[in-house]
Amino acid sequence: MFGGRTALLLRGLRPWLRVEPRRHRDSFRDFTKEFDKFRQKAKGILPGSDWTPLPISRDLPPEQADVVIVGGGVVGWSVAYWLKRNEPQSGAVRVVVVERDLSVSCLSSARYAKASTVLSVGGIRQQYSMPENIQMSLFSANFLRLIDEYLHVIGQPPVDVQFNPSGYLFLASDETAAILEENVKVQRMEGAKVSLLSPAELKKKYPWMNTDGVVLASCGLENEGWFDPWTLLNALRSKAISMGVYQSCGEVTSFTSDTTEMVTQDGEQIDFSRIKYVNVHMPNSTEYASIQCSLVVNAAGAWSSKVAEMAGIGTGPPDSISGVKLPVEPKKRYVYVWHCPDGPGLGFPMLIDTTGAYCRREGLGGNYLGGISPTEEEEPDIQDLEVDHEFFQEKVWPKLAHRVPCFESLKVKSSWAGYYDYNTFDQSPVIGLHPLVDNLYFATGFSGHGLQQAPAVGQAIAELILDGKYKTIDLEAFSFNRLIKGEKALERNVI
Amino acid sequence: MLKIILPTILLTPTAFIIKPSILFSSYLSFSLLIALTSLTWLNYPATTPQYFTDLMMVDRISAPLLTLTCWLLPLMVMASQNHLNQEPLHRKRTFLILISILQALLIFTFSTTNLILFYIMFEATLIPTLVVITRWGNQAERLTAGTYFLFYTLASSLPLLIAILFINFKNNLSSTMVLQMIQPQMMETASNSLLWLACLLAFMVKMPLYGLHLWLPKAHVEAPIAGSMVLAAILLKLGGYGIIRMTTILHPQPLNLFYPFLILSLWGIVMTSSICMRQTDLKSLIAYSSVSHMGLVISACLIQTPWANTGAMLLMIAHGLTSSMLFCLANTSYERTHSRTMVLARGLQLVFPLMTTWWLLANLTNMALPPSINLMGELLIITSLFNWSMTTIILTGTGTLITAIYTLNMFLTTQRNKLPNHLMTNTPNHTREHLLMILHAAPLLLLILNPSLI
Repeated sequence: MFGGRTALLLRGLRPWLRVEPRRHRDSFRDFTKEFDKFRQKAKGILPGSDWTPLPISRDLPPEQADVVIVGGGVVGWSVAYWLKRNEPQSGAVRVVVVERDLSVSCLSSARYAKASTVLSVGGIRQQYSMPENIQMSLFSANFLRLIDEYLHVIGQPPVDVQFNPSGYLFLASDETAAILEENVKVQRMEGAKVSLLSPAELKKKYPWMNTDGVVLASCGLENEGWFDPWTLLNALRSKAISMGVYQSCGEVTSFTSDTTEMVTQDGEQIDFSRIKYVNVHMPNSTEYASIQCSLVVNAAGAWSSKVAEMAGIGTGPPDSISGVKLPVEPKKRYVYVWHCPDGPGLGFPMLIDTTGAYCRREGLGGNYLGGISPTEEEEPDIQDLEVDHEFFQEKVWPKLAHRVPCFESLKVKSSWAGYYDYNTFDQSPVIGLHPLVDNLYFATGFSGHGLQQAPAVGQAIAELILDGKYKTIDLEAFSFNRLIKGEKALERNVI
Repeated sequence: MLKIILPTILLTPTAFIIKPSILFSSYLSFSLLIALTSLTWLNYPATTPQYFTDLMMVDRISAPLLTLTCWLLPLMVMASQNHLNQEPLHRKRTFLILISILQALLIFTFSTTNLILFYIMFEATLIPTLVVITRWGNQAERLTAGTYFLFYTLASSLPLLIAILFINFKNNLSSTMVLQMIQPQMMETASNSLLWLACLLAFMVKMPLYGLHLWLPKAHVEAPIAGSMVLAAILLKLGGYGIIRMTTILHPQPLNLFYPFLILSLWGIVMTSSICMRQTDLKSLIAYSSVSHMGLVISACLIQTPWANTGAMLLMIAHGLTSSMLFCLANTSYERTHSRTMVLARGLQLVFPLMTTWWLLANLTNMALPPSINLMGELLIITSLFNWSMTTIILTGTGTLITAIYTLNMFLTTQRNKLPNHLMTNTPNHTREHLLMILHAAPLLLLILNPSLI
């Protein structure tokens, strides 16, 4: 009788009836459960817990900070780490790093989806033409060598950045051989260990290479190679957080500045401004907060010019100082990974061809990665990070196959694209203060070298902030003033 | 008396009514008038005491503190003008009402003879201060600071309430003037010690004594400038005043009771001055130096010799002015750089040379440089402590030395170091700020000429 229709009826009514299965109710167990609940609640209210009657949203940044670093890539975290490391007493400087690409809960983007750091190829080299670049890379190589001493956090496993010291090999054709030789001279003066090779020596050392058109080659013997950028970023981050740096997830949308208008002797009006508040917008919500700050460091990478415009840089009339924009633009670069079973072996360095194509060994399974910087006309669209496979077929493969004949047969396994924070003026970084905005420091425009120069740049900015001048490496050549004067600090060896 | 109490109470409705364009200026002039009138309290005619009624009196202990309180009100308003500028009108009015209520309560506290009224006013001053700290403070930590501030004082003053009520019921009156003439009990019972402890614990926390001082750095750092000024200058002295009054009633002393407090306060001088040497936050440094100076005052009040009491009074007034001036100076640099860290706001002599004069003056008086009244107070206290026991000179001497070290360090770091590149453009010093400093420094310097006013 209680089957069939009645059961169906009951089943249909179940959402309303909520008939629970019978079980033996143990009053004592209920009581202990209630007691546990009470104990949990009491623990939350007693002093020592962080329950407050006015709950402050956990994710909002602090209301006041001494230094706000806009951008949580490797440069931003390096600045934060060095500030904490160099501060005169522990807890002296309050540092907040604001990064927008962090939310794990966000639907579409994973963490650091677009940051240049983690999409980088991870190479480090000293073969530059500017002495400052060489010094920065040397410092960074030393930093990476001693990374466990610098960045070790008690209780965590030692930091292993997987440095492959295979070196860079630059090939020069007729036109570029003289420049290569000059550069090597500068590099040797700065203390980099670089050797020059003739085509015969090249053939002996690297039998897989086709030395057509190569007149000279320079090969880095020490402190050059590649490493894992994600490890470096995470190590810097965890060490900095353990030293007291606050990390805040949010996007900096504007600055609130105090502006003083002054008139020069010629009657021209100049506005000096000072950033008072950084307005941060929380991800995926309409919440926003403002951080009262004393200093702001622009380490926003490919998007630095947007941040600079928020401070009013580049928004004045075109022929005035305030009209000089920060010429950093995102430029998309592709990296392709392929498998070649009879490719060059372990000794394969980061090869940079006369044409500008580059490739290196990736891992130990016969995989290689490489790419080429497109010319001005072929610059890809920067809206998204989609990879153009035709680019590999037409531009990269022929050149690499010409240079390394075993690459004639290969299979592309994967590819990705990342942004360079490309300085369109002279492809050199912009580091230091702006003449008109009092408390905005730049650490951007690295044009593809940000990862390898990050430890040195972090230390330089920290020295600027805490001591007022560069102490270890003099980076005065990279100040913003050269953009105003129009003097280029050209780095000729940009890959 | 009434000529000061009535205007102070009526400042509250005044803040409601003044039209917004002249809100600050007229409030300021009213409070300055009251301050000038309060100077009449400092007249101590030898023949007939002037200000005595049933419930209220102003004698040589209350008068300097009362004058300091009334003097500080216009200074607080001047100092807060900048950060209150952007607030909506009703918040400005609320702020002014709060500090005028606080002012009235403080005047009552200092001038009453009745112990129960004293207690009520003592507790009532906590409320406006709490509101000022938690509402106008700058950081999220101000909530913790307010909680610490409120509950430390509240918890320690409950025994005070019971003790006062007990005294009242036992002697059927609670006038301090009469109570000190009643034949004191000579028994050394446990309940007598408890009574002694209950009476003085609240004031120890307020001073603060070294072991109970945790609320002070938090409250001072998180409070807005007016809150810091009134906290450092007056509210701490409430404790000292209370100790002086209570010990006249609780006399004589069971010896073994006040040893812990004396030792804590003397040791606290050395400890907190040492903490000051390592401080990076400017306001925190000034807060800890307050604890250090007040340690001297506690030890002087506890040994109750005439020289010690005089020294305590001198040091209280001198420290009130100096500490308030230091907070105002720290605030001028904070408003421009938005950072209290000393290392980020240094080399200011190049940018604000005239403010350096005031920095120098405040730091010199903080160090107890002769002939300032800070020195005279400290000298009297140290000498009387030495007379009481020879070994205290080790602690007080070390304290003086370390005070000089960190004060000079503070001066040199904020004024003389290399000017950081990010401090090139700053708003110049307003006349208001210079006026503020002069009004702090003038009494300090003039009192050198006639310290017997205190």
